[in-house]
Amino acid sequence: MILRGRGIFRGIARGPIVALDSPFSFLGGVDPSTGLLSDSKDVSIAGKVLAFPVGKGSTVGSYTMLEMKRQGTLPAAILNKKAEPIVTTGAVMCGIPLVDSIDVSVLRSWDVAMVDGTEGTVEVEGVEKKSVVTCILMKRDRFLILKRSEKVGTFRGKWAGVSGYVEVGEEPIQTALKEMCEEVRVTDAELVRQADPIVVRSGEIVWEIHPFLFKVKEDGITTDWEHTGHRWIVPDELPGFDTVPGFDRVVEMLLSRKIVSTGTR
Amino acid sequence: MKGEKGFGVQRAMELLVAIGTVYEAERLIPISSAHLSGVSYKTIGEGGVDFLTNIASDSKVVVKTTLNPAGMDLVRWGEMKISKRFAERQLEIIDCYSRLGVETNCTCTPYLAGNLPREDDTVAWAESSALSYINSIVGARTNREGGPGALAASILGKTPAYGLHLDENRKPTVVIDAEIDGGLFDHTLLGQVVGKKVANAVPYFRNIRPNPDEAKTLAAAMAASGSVAMFHVEGMTPEANDADLRGLERIGVERRDLIDARETLSTGREPDLIAVGCPHLSEAEIRDLASILKCKSKKTDIDVWFCTSKATRKRCPKEIDVLERFGKVLCDTCMVVAPIEDHYSCSATNSAKACNYLPTLCSQKVVCASAADLMKMVT
Repeated sequence: MILRGRGIFRGIARGPIVALDSPFSFLGGVDPSTGLLSDSKDVSIAGKVLAFPVGKGSTVGSYTMLEMKRQGTLPAAILNKKAEPIVTTGAVMCGIPLVDSIDVSVLRSWDVAMVDGTEGTVEVEGVEKKSVVTCILMKRDRFLILKRSEKVGTFRGKWAGVSGYVEVGEEPIQTALKEMCEEVRVTDAELVRQADPIVVRSGEIVWEIHPFLFKVKEDGITTDWEHTGHRWIVPDELPGFDTVPGFDRVVEMLLSRKIVSTGTR
Repeated sequence: MKGEKGFGVQRAMELLVAIGTVYEAERLIPISSAHLSGVSYKTIGEGGVDFLTNIASDSKVVVKTTLNPAGMDLVRWGEMKISKRFAERQLEIIDCYSRLGVETNCTCTPYLAGNLPREDDTVAWAESSALSYINSIVGARTNREGGPGALAASILGKTPAYGLHLDENRKPTVVIDAEIDGGLFDHTLLGQVVGKKVANAVPYFRNIRPNPDEAKTLAAAMAASGSVAMFHVEGMTPEANDADLRGLERIGVERRDLIDARETLSTGREPDLIAVGCPHLSEAEIRDLASILKCKSKKTDIDVWFCTSKATRKRCPKEIDVLERFGKVLCDTCMVVAPIEDHYSCSATNSAKACNYLPTLCSQKVVCASAADLMKMVT
């Protein structure tokens, strides 16, 4: 999988990823003499590709990075969702590649990545990206969820929207219209909204999901072999269903409301 | 950027381009001065010394550039019980800056010591209190620079045009209605309260009229408890006249909030160091302290530090003689960036900024009190 972001500082480096899910400060966040993280003391970031959403804390953090360079404990490269000046300054002063606008939530520690700070790319080895559409069909205040059959390739038995792979050369909206026709025989749905794609990691696959919201008129729908059941539900009922990864986020984005998860994913 | 102009210029350009990329700046704009943090050996360490040595080997600053406080009084460090090793490394840092062409009077109030921008000047300043002061009271324009970013700007004479260099980001975003009596200590506590509440917003103060020292401590506190880099004071900030307050959130600050802030900041009881001068004492503050202490004598053995700049110390020699009877008038340093944790465990100060940093940077318990009350502790 190749992720494309912004090259903030040049250079090429390859190494195992250490992925953090919260903002990080070099000052206090790591022991410069060992490279071990303060929060998880058995994890060293020395020579690794360090991924975290955003930097935080004191500007002294830039100097901590210089000290790590001196002691040989610096990461080989840094990936951020949003770069800020403290880490940027440190990366430039130390001369290590920094790429931002990377959705670090799809990265896992011990993935191996090749970072190109000049091009702003991150190649994650052994991880595949698959592009899909998910369509939410709305009828008055309810929307359609479908139970995936045992015959489909992925997420058998889980609940989802109308969905399918975006084929090579296809626009996501074309996929959406095609899948609605195939899966539920709906041909006159009205497009209400299309949201920016979200990415979800599941095993060695990163799903890039293109969310669509449609309004439909038909009362009855017909499902094909891919599904064994369907329900029209209001958003608050969603947490009661075992859904495919990222589905609650798709619904939240399209309906602009928070879905309270009960923890079953 | 192939390095024909040397390591320093190349790294400086790379740093400004990288920061410009982060903030989507469209261009670099010329600056008329810079002020650098990253001076104390305690903060920047050996990694910082290596970096400065490399930069200083082949580059020079091209605009007027001044320095923040160092980890010790550059002359009287022996009296501060600074180790010889620390002193050597600190003097090495100062020497690097000197080779770069930076003025080596180390103060967080450069605007009182010969580096005062004019209204509308574009500059690149680090030191959160000073940059907020010149944005808000002087009407100059700077972002909240880190030390290396400001150094890069001083070497190139340019800075990326984003943030507070642009009109739209200097407008007030929240209105503060404060009920305070006035005085230095009330203003530092007001800054503490507002910085905590607004984080990095641009507050607009109504019904306060701070003198320069009060504005200085207000700016310092807001930059420490929050990250305010620009504020407006009605009738004072050059841009405040044009401010449009319609639709802005309003926050009231009452006496009770100030008392609460002081109680939260106070974590200790028995200070072994009393330190004033965060930010560095002005001439007026030194005269006030001298008039409190003039006819008194010191009745305890608690150490007292009065931190100021060389320029200010030179202007009031008689008053300095009075203060020296009670403690040390130190230049080029302060209680936050000096390694006071080697000798002290509880510090008393009248600065909310210092109260924010002393626990984390210097492992201190803190007593937060007005300058007059602090002087009562020793007389």
